[in-house]
Amino acid sequence: MRLPASRARALAGGTELVPLLRDHLVDAETLVELRNVVPRGIDGTTIGAGTTLGELEVDPEIPKALREACRLAASPQIRAMGTIGGNLLQATRCWYWRLKFPCWLHGGDRCFAKAGAHREHAVFGNEQCASAHPSDPAAALVALGARLRTNERELAVEELYRLPTDDDRSTTALRPGELILELEVPAPDASTYLKAMDRKAFSFPLVGVAAARTTSGTRIALSGVAPIPWALESLEDATPLPGTAYKLDIARALVDRALTEVGG
Amino acid sequence: MARLIKTKKEVEGRYSETWVVVEEDALDQWPAGPLTTVGREATRLDGAERARGEAIYTADLIFPGMLHAAILRSPYSRARVRALDLDPALDAPGVRAVLGPDELDALTDEPGYVGAPVAAVAADTEAQARAAVELVSVEWELLEPLVDPDEAVEQESFLNEPRRYERGDLDRGLAEADAVVEAEYRTQVALHNCMEPHGAVCRWQRDNLEVYISTQFIWGVRSDVADELGLPEDRVRVVCEFMGGGFGSKNGPREHTYVAAELAKRTGRAVKCFNNRREENLDAGNRNGTIQRLVAGARADGTLTALGGEFVNAVGYRGFSASTSGPMQMLYACPNVRTVENGAKLNMPPNAAFRAPGFVEGTFGLECLLDELAAKLELDPLELRRKNHTDSDLVGERPFSSKNLIECYRRAEPHWERRHAVRARTDGPWKRGVGLASQIWYGGGGPPSYAWVRVGSDGRVTVVTAMQDIGTGTRTAMAQIAAEELAVGLERVSVELGDSARGPYASISAGSSTTPSMGPAVRAAAADAARQILEIAAQRYDVEQRVLSLKNGHVVSANGGSWPLEDVTDLLDDGQILGKGARGPNPTGMRVLTFGVQVAEVAVDVETGEVRVERVAAVHDVGRIINPLGARSQIEGGIIQAVGYALTEQRIDDPATGIPLTRTLDAYKVPTIADVPEIVTDFIDIPDEHLTNLGSKGLGEPPIIPTAAAIANAIRDATGADVHSLPITREEMLRALREARERVRDEVAAPTA
Repeated sequence: MRLPASRARALAGGTELVPLLRDHLVDAETLVELRNVVPRGIDGTTIGAGTTLGELEVDPEIPKALREACRLAASPQIRAMGTIGGNLLQATRCWYWRLKFPCWLHGGDRCFAKAGAHREHAVFGNEQCASAHPSDPAAALVALGARLRTNERELAVEELYRLPTDDDRSTTALRPGELILELEVPAPDASTYLKAMDRKAFSFPLVGVAAARTTSGTRIALSGVAPIPWALESLEDATPLPGTAYKLDIARALVDRALTEVGG
Repeated sequence: MARLIKTKKEVEGRYSETWVVVEEDALDQWPAGPLTTVGREATRLDGAERARGEAIYTADLIFPGMLHAAILRSPYSRARVRALDLDPALDAPGVRAVLGPDELDALTDEPGYVGAPVAAVAADTEAQARAAVELVSVEWELLEPLVDPDEAVEQESFLNEPRRYERGDLDRGLAEADAVVEAEYRTQVALHNCMEPHGAVCRWQRDNLEVYISTQFIWGVRSDVADELGLPEDRVRVVCEFMGGGFGSKNGPREHTYVAAELAKRTGRAVKCFNNRREENLDAGNRNGTIQRLVAGARADGTLTALGGEFVNAVGYRGFSASTSGPMQMLYACPNVRTVENGAKLNMPPNAAFRAPGFVEGTFGLECLLDELAAKLELDPLELRRKNHTDSDLVGERPFSSKNLIECYRRAEPHWERRHAVRARTDGPWKRGVGLASQIWYGGGGPPSYAWVRVGSDGRVTVVTAMQDIGTGTRTAMAQIAAEELAVGLERVSVELGDSARGPYASISAGSSTTPSMGPAVRAAAADAARQILEIAAQRYDVEQRVLSLKNGHVVSANGGSWPLEDVTDLLDDGQILGKGARGPNPTGMRVLTFGVQVAEVAVDVETGEVRVERVAAVHDVGRIINPLGARSQIEGGIIQAVGYALTEQRIDDPATGIPLTRTLDAYKVPTIADVPEIVTDFIDIPDEHLTNLGSKGLGEPPIIPTAAAIANAIRDATGADVHSLPITREEMLRALREARERVRDEVAAPTA
């Protein structure tokens, strides 16, 4: 099963795609509705990519990190429509990118955020592009060591993402026509997701911290701090900008709290 | 009998002298306290309509054959149009007409800010119009913009001469002080983000122009449009029945009206021109940012000896320089005050009045500074306010018409007293504290304003006035006033408003002036109708009119005898009684102001910089309260808006180009329901006996004024950290916490002798 060739876009909940189309950030000749193609629903540790955030939020069998990441994301209306598969593929909220400045991520040669307004931007992986990845669930899935099954292969969630480079400015490794079908989310011993945002609700993460403890140890992943979900090795590795240094204070506190909560 | 007088009219602190025709206001005020209808809770007359989506706002209007207009706006902060080709737009699908910058005053070929209107297109659908705008071919010459307020000050780029105020001698006052505090405060650009965007629908009926517009001032739009188009005023009809928020940004016609009117004229069809949300975040007005360098001095016992301030209002390309210095001049009994205020001209979107313009920003600076002074003197902040209470207006050197601020402080005490228990509820990284701030503002309204009250043969009452209800609930308040005066149940009263062709002149709904301006006119009209009813009843029942009165839907005689109102009105057959009323003059030789105090409780996570406002107690003195439920809603709305202003709202601009970056409601963060604190309201509710037949002042703006300062002061109480800029984002909170820690560390290392 393959998507029809170029200028066709896959559409599930539409909560990201429709605004991108409306703002002419992506174009499409054909929208391919995925309802009958992509599985939806939870079966043990297997989650259909068409499952909505709202469905994941209320299922007690879902690991806490993922449940909380869904609960703290967006708004109830958006969570009722947005799918976990689509959520992983969100574009950055960087205002320069969204307003179509000819920035590096768009194929140009400079990052406007670095010298400009960047309070919501990255502290890691920001050498070329200072954009931040907005997905809460993605960080949770990285920490949980989840895997994806597409119509072509199987890969770790982490492998879905790549830092953009000079010759390839995309932040995901999906091939043209490739669709995420299912997620495999192993149950941890303990997990959590803590989120710092500007309001109490309906805000993208300034810093989100996911932690998951399994027998092989505790993994931590951060949202909102790098162009892609960031598997954390050390906060000392951070390369903050003048206007994002505050995010490290927040990250430090939340990482401590997350580790305390998952214990071990 | 009609009288022609000259009187002072005040809107948002700006005074103008005006001639008005008034009827003598012979009515005595009602006694204080809840009456039959006035002073009692009433649900909004139009609440169900609005909630069900049945209310038709201007943005909802659809006329047969109506076209949609879209505007080409400048993408640059400062540029010149070297060449412009509208043909590609004219050739686009659905397009019926185009307008270039030389064809309308509202369009420009030398835009001075991002978003300035340059050209316009009318098409069959909005999507077609907006798509066509993209096709307009423009050759821009880019010019160097001035976008930074500090640089504007350096270059002395000001809108007009500095505004200076002085009383006493500031330098002497500072020398006399036992303690002096000095600080710089900065506030951000905030956007109104009204739920209903700006816009209008225009339709020509031969030589008459109908303007349907989301507006705060039907009659102002009427006269401005007539003036601009060279029409007699009575050929312009302005309609606004339901309105989705203005907050000061919809006080005049704006470009949408003129674009729609011109395109409607050329096409012979109705034309709708509305902003989308992005345009609302770009060129719909804003509360400008401010830079405030303040100093305060006081004696050891807390008596203020000196207050001084240099204020920069970063107004933008156009607009007005609001009175950020007002609170410093007016609030306290300080003998030595000096303020200098400048409005900086920048290549940034023009400001517009925004709910107590200047006073919100200025109260933040002043009330935070006073708390810093209280901390230095080791005085209780509430005591410091009380100590410096002034009984008369020191700026205008007049008495107040009424002032119950001391009573507000007294009623704030139990809320202030909670601070011990609140501080004790510190848990883990969450520190809790309580802060307060005083409020001063205008709210007296003024003439002219007129109303009619129609009583039909069925004894039902209609209040008729061409005023607008911008969401404040004034429609309901007017009904209550008429019901009270005519002694009928509220369910028998309806209100017709919003159409300049179908009612008499009404004031602007801005500056907290609708209730104090319209209310007395409605009461006078109802009294006039009542008098006519009693005249008829006297003849019908062969009684002297002077023994008759209205009570509980009946005409009642002091000598016994009671007849249902309908029995009298039934005599009219198909006729009606029409009462007319006008707003009388303002009291002379007195200053009419509103007062209040708010007490905020906050929790601060000192590790992540998160601030939560947990409770706000609001005590407000605004004269007689017409509708306690409506008034409470106003307080709650104002406080919620203030929480957004204090914590999360800011327009963020690209520093290099001045391009506003926050265009959508995910980026420009207004509070969600989850952000709303517990809100406790307490109204003094003592009528201002000098002010009209109602004694009511306006309440639209007071609730938003002191909240940010109360929150900042609560943060200081909780953490010792001094916040000096708004909004209090994570980074500002963390900065202030770090500075507080370093200050403590320095004091420990080198304690002063």
